[in-house]
Amino acid sequence: MTMLKVNNRTLEVTSRPDRTLADVLRNDLGLIGVRVSCSEGECGSCTVLVGGEPCTSCLMLVNQAEGQDITTIEGIGSQDDLHPIQQAFIEEQGFQCAFCTPGFIMSAKAFLAENPNPTADEVSVAMSGNICRCGAYPYIVRSVLRAAEKLRKSSGQQAAE
Amino acid sequence: MNEAVVDESGTDGVMRARFDYARPATAQEAIKLKSQLGEKARYWAGGTDMTLLWQRSEIQFDHCIDIRQLDELDYISVEPDSIRIGAMASLSLLERSAEAHHLLATLSDITKLMCTPQTRTLATVGGNLCNASPASDLSPAFVAMNAQVVILGEDGERSVGMFEFFEGVNKTALRGTELLKEVTIPLPSAGQIAASYRRIDRTVVDIALVNAASALTVSDSGEIKKASIALGAVAPVIVRSEAAAQPLIGRTLDELDDAMLAAAGEAASKDAKPISDVRASAGYRRDMVKVMVRRSLADCVEQLKG
Ligand SMILES: Cc1cc2nc3c(=O)[nH]c(=O)nc-3n(C[C@H](O)[C@H](O)[C@H](O)COP(=O)(O)OP(=O)(O)OC[C@H]3O[C@@H](n4cnc5c(N)ncnc54)[C@H](O)[C@@H]3O)c2cc1C
Ligand code: FES
Ligand code: FES
Repeated sequence: MTMLKVNNRTLEVTSRPDRTLADVLRNDLGLIGVRVSCSEGECGSCTVLVGGEPCTSCLMLVNQAEGQDITTIEGIGSQDDLHPIQQAFIEEQGFQCAFCTPGFIMSAKAFLAENPNPTADEVSVAMSGNICRCGAYPYIVRSVLRAAEKLRKSSGQQAAE
Repeated sequence: MNEAVVDESGTDGVMRARFDYARPATAQEAIKLKSQLGEKARYWAGGTDMTLLWQRSEIQFDHCIDIRQLDELDYISVEPDSIRIGAMASLSLLERSAEAHHLLATLSDITKLMCTPQTRTLATVGGNLCNASPASDLSPAFVAMNAQVVILGEDGERSVGMFEFFEGVNKTALRGTELLKEVTIPLPSAGQIAASYRRIDRTVVDIALVNAASALTVSDSGEIKKASIALGAVAPVIVRSEAAAQPLIGRTLDELDDAMLAAAGEAASKDAKPISDVRASAGYRRDMVKVMVRRSLADCVEQLKG
């Protein structure tokens, strides 16, 4: 039995230990926003936050994430209540097929927490571990910049309140 | 040798070997466990190399001993006479340690060339060294910095030079149940040290085609006391080029002109034994050694002249 804290819920998962975190999140917990493409750490589509840090969940064993806070795309917003980064991706059309999008958004979330006011070049470097096969990169950079702006505004508002 | 049981692991339909898992609470416990479980138990740190070997069935093992969360091995500390990097320090911790010392700043710049942001959080310094890839980005830098590694065994600790640690492709000086504990970079008691690293790659996530690291230690009057040049991806192990480094010793920083740096590059290239493969030809690699060595030395000189 493995205790996983996923998206603020504590779940008991019965799984063999020889499985990746990505596999369990997708196939046991139904969190299919975690995309698996290369399974080798190259494409970033399986990026989730573990203890607040971005990690390729295809390279992590399920037991290695035990006891740490895991956040997937499902945990940051919902259809009715989108996260500002999700909203920004829609407004800037930061995707075509959207296969890569959850991974990019999770990378962006970790990055913007560290650097709330980045340049376009800094965004490109921070997103270098995510591959978009549709080649929506310029739109993705714009999406992340717009997300940064939204997040700065909302934290400014919170501070003012 | 027993065959590992191959079964459908997970529900993604991919066939992978099955294994059991243990997360010991201390390094000593990990070593004890490995001695109980024997040959087919493997230490597992960030798993960025292990997962690939497992998924591709390139290694046979039946037990994963997870050492990634051993806090006692997860540190970077700067002391008066050395910098100590615990084996479980992640590449992203190293990346964020630039402010603590200028040699750590050099290492931090190297980590930015390695893996991807979301794999650097997993990958460890120790795992990178224990994997003993001749194309590793950290190995030549540590060799040039004259680092030592501390190895933990059943009967205590021992130290081995970073250069001697590498015995072949994926082969290290670790024996039996031994665990890598720390990399120690000695700091000069007088004068100043600078180190620099250069690599040629095709893309960011790709491994180096050729790389080189240099380190120079100068006295307060600017005389070179120590010089060390290490080459990666040009032999099964990291190459240390004495022929390139020796002529620099005793010179002053001002004497290290373009011609001297180019001569060091030429000498280093003679020590390189590169192969031709899909990534590059041997001739190209040998030529690039000259350039990488010259540039990394020039960079050290610039840092020292400040
Ligand atoms: C997408 C991607 C890109 C990469 N790019 C680069 C790159 O640019 N440059 C580069 O150098 N590398 C690169 N790598 C390789 C890899 O990330 C490193 O080798 C990594 O640092 C290994 O560390 P780990 O903690 O993940 O090791 P693991 O995979 O857990 O272990 C590696 C090996 O070391 C052993 N081991 C680990 N720790 C110890 C210890 N303390 N004592 C004894 N044995 C131990 C394990 O048993 C195993 O054999 C890349 C990998 C990926 C997936
Ligand atoms: S599926 Fe994990 S990085 Fe590609
Ligand atoms: S939008 Fe299709 S892969 Fe990125």
